[in-house]
Amino acid sequence: MTAVVEQRLDFRAASQRAGEGDPAWLTPVRANAANLASEMEWPDSRAERPWKYYDISGIGLTPETAAAEEHVTCEGLERGARVSLLADHGTPEADAAAKLFASVVTPGTDRLTALHYAYTNAGIAVHVPSNAELAAPVRIKRTASGGGLATPHTLIITGANSRVTIVEEFTSDGSNIVALPVVEVAPGPGSEVRYYAIHNWGGNTKVFMHQRFAGTQRDAQFQNLQLVLGGEVVKGHLESSLVERGTASELLGVGFGVSNEHADFFTLQDHVGPDTRSDLVYKSALKDDAQSVYYGLTRVGLGAKNADAAQENRNLLLSKTAKADSDPVLEILTSDIIRASHGATAGPVEQDQLFYLQARGIPYKEAEAMLVRAFLEEVFGRVPNEELRQELVDRLEEKLD
Amino acid sequence: MTALLEIKDLRARIGDKEILKGLSLTIQPGEIHAIMGPNGSGKSTLANVLMGNPNYEVTGGDILFRGESLLEMTPDERARKGLFLAFQYPVAIPGVTLVNFMRQAVNATRGHEVPIREFRETLFEKMDLLKVDQDFARRYVNDGFSGGEKKRAEMLQMAMLQPAMAVLDETDSGLDIDALRTVAEGVNTLMNEKMGLLLITHYQRLLNYIKPQFVHVLIEGRIVKSGGPELAEQLEASGYDELEAQLATA
Ligand SMILES: Nc1ncnc2c1ncn2[C@@H]1O[C@H](COP(=O)(O)OP(=O)(O)OP(=O)(O)O)[C@@H](O)[C@H]1O
Ligand SMILES: [Mg+2]
Repeated sequence: MTAVVEQRLDFRAASQRAGEGDPAWLTPVRANAANLASEMEWPDSRAERPWKYYDISGIGLTPETAAAEEHVTCEGLERGARVSLLADHGTPEADAAAKLFASVVTPGTDRLTALHYAYTNAGIAVHVPSNAELAAPVRIKRTASGGGLATPHTLIITGANSRVTIVEEFTSDGSNIVALPVVEVAPGPGSEVRYYAIHNWGGNTKVFMHQRFAGTQRDAQFQNLQLVLGGEVVKGHLESSLVERGTASELLGVGFGVSNEHADFFTLQDHVGPDTRSDLVYKSALKDDAQSVYYGLTRVGLGAKNADAAQENRNLLLSKTAKADSDPVLEILTSDIIRASHGATAGPVEQDQLFYLQARGIPYKEAEAMLVRAFLEEVFGRVPNEELRQELVDRLEEKLD
Repeated sequence: MTALLEIKDLRARIGDKEILKGLSLTIQPGEIHAIMGPNGSGKSTLANVLMGNPNYEVTGGDILFRGESLLEMTPDERARKGLFLAFQYPVAIPGVTLVNFMRQAVNATRGHEVPIREFRETLFEKMDLLKVDQDFARRYVNDGFSGGEKKRAEMLQMAMLQPAMAVLDETDSGLDIDALRTVAEGVNTLMNEKMGLLLITHYQRLLNYIKPQFVHVLIEGRIVKSGGPELAEQLEASGYDELEAQLATA
């Protein structure tokens, strides 16, 4: 047989191999995903707005692409919180995970999610029982190494009126890795979930992730933070779906880009039900040739009476060659709302502020770093856990220095 | 003896507009000078040019600080040499707390890290001196400060940095009567025989508390008249019209 470059990529056999040892419920999910991955095309830069600034068609993922080595640990489970693995069966947690897996972020979202579900093995589900309040954050740590395709999956299932903060840190080695992480958040009624992702990927890792909050239970609250510290490309698709009355989400993003890093986010604040609230602040400071792309949609549907939506993207350009593309969009179908606001800016640090700091003896570089911190501070300020906030600030500081 | 500050035939412009048109002024250690002059005459321009604000372009003359030209120095170098400017309109820096800012500034001007305890003690002492509330330092620099609070914050910074030469650009405006007295007393406490002080003001009021030996009148980018404290009183009584008229006919 000779190797021929095929137009069609058939991921089914590879997916089947990845699924050896799957519990019975997972087999059809994976097979379906493999079919979708084989049938779908790559997202089209020219036709699909979230892909305008990144052309993925040359990504080079084929059925021959090896799976990267993936490890995951989870700590800080208390007050009855548990973690289950994809392969688990026969426990209430495994049953709950089986029911919700692939329902919040569906395999057919795009070819990347289809590939994710066709291959994923490093899946964990975090379960928080009703009324449990975890004081300290749950910590998930993930690593990927050895090159190839990484497909981390995190499913968060919380009971009624529970409260939890989950911090997930992604790291990878310097090998060529394509990572397709998926995070599904399925909260119970009145539950408050804070999910913070720290992107500390290696310099040759390209990341295309999907995270979605399913606000299908009354008064569920979600806070999400994306802290981008490293990765050749970190591209995210983040959705909060505010379906039930009183659901709310706060989407936060902080990035400090250097060299030729490319951070690229598409966000959707989807107000479907009444009395829903959403807020979003994405900020990035960019050096060298770093690029930030932000495209966000706030959609207020016909049934979203009394919706309150805000969306803000701000970029600090620290070099002449740094670039920020920003496009926050409002789509409002009902007039009966409290607020719908959006804003975007991109520019250098304020010269007056810089001069003021220098006039007090602080050298230019240090003054500029202070202003970068000050600029990003607004986002960190929204993390209510003080210790955690300081930790996140410190993580960013390491990169600033 | 080398002067503390010697401004020689200084010319400066912003954009295409020349604002300082040959200004000379010498300040010796231990001296207090006051500059008065109508709005727009160039007082703040002078202050900013002294500090090295990049918005202004020096087109002629020189500024010597202890005999050394400042013109090629960045603003932070000038500050580390001992020059201080209390701004007429201090800018707000949301996200930077006053205490953190002052810590950085103190470390930078001293050239070494001051131990946190020592820094705190000095800070509390200076806050006492200027009757500033302790919560104040935890707020973001000038963010949401009232006019008077901004001016006090400027004086607090001066007290912390202990400059050799301080320029106070309308520090008195915005201060209520009690605050003016407190701030003036604070400045007098900080003043010493090695230090120089340049007060920019519109009002005699301030000069009742901080007594200058020299008063200069700045009109259209030049010092047109210099004298003793009595000049300030004259101006307060008769305004600048008379002087300006004299200039026009001269
Ligand atoms: N950024 C600028 N662009 C253009 N003109 C400027 C700028 N800044 C100052 N000027 C002009 O320079 C002149 C001098 O201004 P300056 O602020 O030095 O006056 P001043 O004597 O301090 O006045 P005041 O008493 O009102 O504080 C004014 O005519 C002012 O309009
Ligand atoms: Mg002025």
